[in-house]
Parts: sequence; C-alpha cells; structure tokens
Amino acid sequence: MNLMRGSQDDQLDALFRAYREACSTPEPSVHFMPQLWRRIESRQSFTFSFRRMANALVTAAVAATVCLGIYTTIRRSDAAFYSQSYVEALAEASTIDTDLVAPARLEISQAPLE
Amino acid sequence: MRVDFELIKRAQAGDNAAFNEIVLAYRKRILGTITRVIARPEDVEDVAQEVFLRLYFSLDQLRTAEVFEPWLYRLTVNAAYDYLRKQRRRPEYRMSDLSEQQVLMADATAGGKVEHDDQYQKKIRESVDALLGAVSEADRILLMLKEVEGLSLKELEKIYQVNENALKVRLFRARQRVLKAFGASTKGKEPARAG
Repeated sequence: MNLMRGSQDDQLDALFRAYREACSTPEPSVHFMPQLWRRIESRQSFTFSFRRMANALVTAAVAATVCLGIYTTIRRSDAAFYSQSYVEALAEASTIDTDLVAPARLEISQAPLE
Repeated sequence: MRVDFELIKRAQAGDNAAFNEIVLAYRKRILGTITRVIARPEDVEDVAQEVFLRLYFSLDQLRTAEVFEPWLYRLTVNAAYDYLRKQRRRPEYRMSDLSEQQVLMADATAGGKVEHDDQYQKKIRESVDALLGAVSEADRILLMLKEVEGLSLKELEKIYQVNENALKVRLFRARQRVLKAFGASTKGKEPARAG
C-alpha cells in the first residue's frame, strides 16, 4: 500500500485505513472503575444537595403565598370599605372646607327711582 | 448488542452491579473511539468516564433496547465534542510539517511493504491528527466515526438524528475540507521533492 499514489480521495482513504490500524485501543487502567464510581457519587451528592435546596425554596415560596393569601383575605373582609363606590370614597376622603367656600348670595337692593 | 435489555432495565431500576456490567461491556469500545477522536491518550479515560457518568444519570430516559448503542455513541460524540471545544488550544499544525511526515510515510512505503513499527504508526497518527486539526471539531468527529470507526450511514443517522441526505451533505462537506487541507499539504511538498 502506497499512501502517496492515486487520486487524493484514494490517498485520503488509504491514510484513514492506515490510521485505523495505527491506533490501538488502550487498555483501561485499574483505576478506571473506582474513579468512575467516585465521580458518580460526587455528582449524586451534589444533585442531592441541590434538590434539597430547591425543595426548601419551593416550601418557602408556598408558605409565603399562603401567608399573602391569608393577609389579603383578612383585608378584604372589611366589606364597608369596599362596598363604597369610587365617588363616595373620594367625597369622604376630601371634604370641602365650608368656611372658605360659602354659597354665593346675590343681594339686589332696589334704589329709589328718581 | 453487547448487553441485553434486561440488564439495562436493572440498571435503570438503580442496580449498580448491572450498571457496572454495562460499563465493562462497552468501556473498551468507547475508549477506542475516544482515543481516535481526541488523539490525546492522557485524557482518554477522563472523557470515557464522563461518557459513563452521563449514561448513569440519563439511563432512565431510555425507552427501547435498540436505541441503546446509538445513544451511547451520541453521548460519546457529545463528550468528545465538549472536550475538543474546551481544548481549543490545539497545537498549530504546520502544513510544511505535515508534508514532511507524508514524505516519510511515502518513503516508508516505497517498497510496497508497510512497516508496522512504532515509528511508522506514530507518523501516521500525527499525519491524520494534523490533517483533522485543520478542520472543525464537528467535522473531525464525523469523519472519524465514518472513515476510521467504520460506522454505516444508518448508524450515523441514529447518532446524529438527521436524515440520510443531510448526513451525506455534511459528510461530503467535511471530506472536502479535509481534502483541501490534504491537497494544500501535498502541493507544499512537491517543490521540495522536485528540488
């Protein structure tokens, strides 16, 4: 087999074939399996802590939601406040100062006609 | 298939001994593929362990036995690809060096007899690594699986999850890019030989 003869395609194929023969599959080392299991266990413990943290966060979020719900319900029970219309509520909130704004009075005096 | 689906089911159910058996059945093959793809012997075991680590944590997603091997190959390809992307500091392969190696290869095979000694094999490995160093990681892996691992188009379709035509186009383009680098290297060599 001459790798440098023929078309470039053939040369490339020959080179790949030679490469396949030249690359021997390495034997796994004795540490392969123990290291793999160590990595699996380490990832598992990380996943476990992450999951625990996520669970704690979810629980806290649910508790906060429940508290907010209860608080909102209590506020809503003040029915009188919510039964007013917008105009009524506005009128109650800003009372007109009657001292300053008195009703206008028109006084018409009749002068004697000359 | 090197293992039966029962073993995979047991591993899915959390049987570590079953998973161990799966690893033992496939590790040599996976190591071989990774060796050829990443071309760095010192990191081969690390990448292979990453493959089996991913397998361990995603095994419960496997539904049918027939997709196990393509799926394991896909994990291998992805791990090798991730590794190659991290190792962007690949050595610069100069085409003049490549040509020199090819001259040596040609000299070694001039008598029509291939000398399978360590030196020759080393040169071959360096030549192909240099050639594939000139193309992208994706092209490198695809060509390795097709040309060196000898996977069929059907197998590659399952691994890459693309149809045959798209795969053929990708293979053709990848090969064209390698051929271009190969052509450039041989062109660079000719004047030297002539002179």
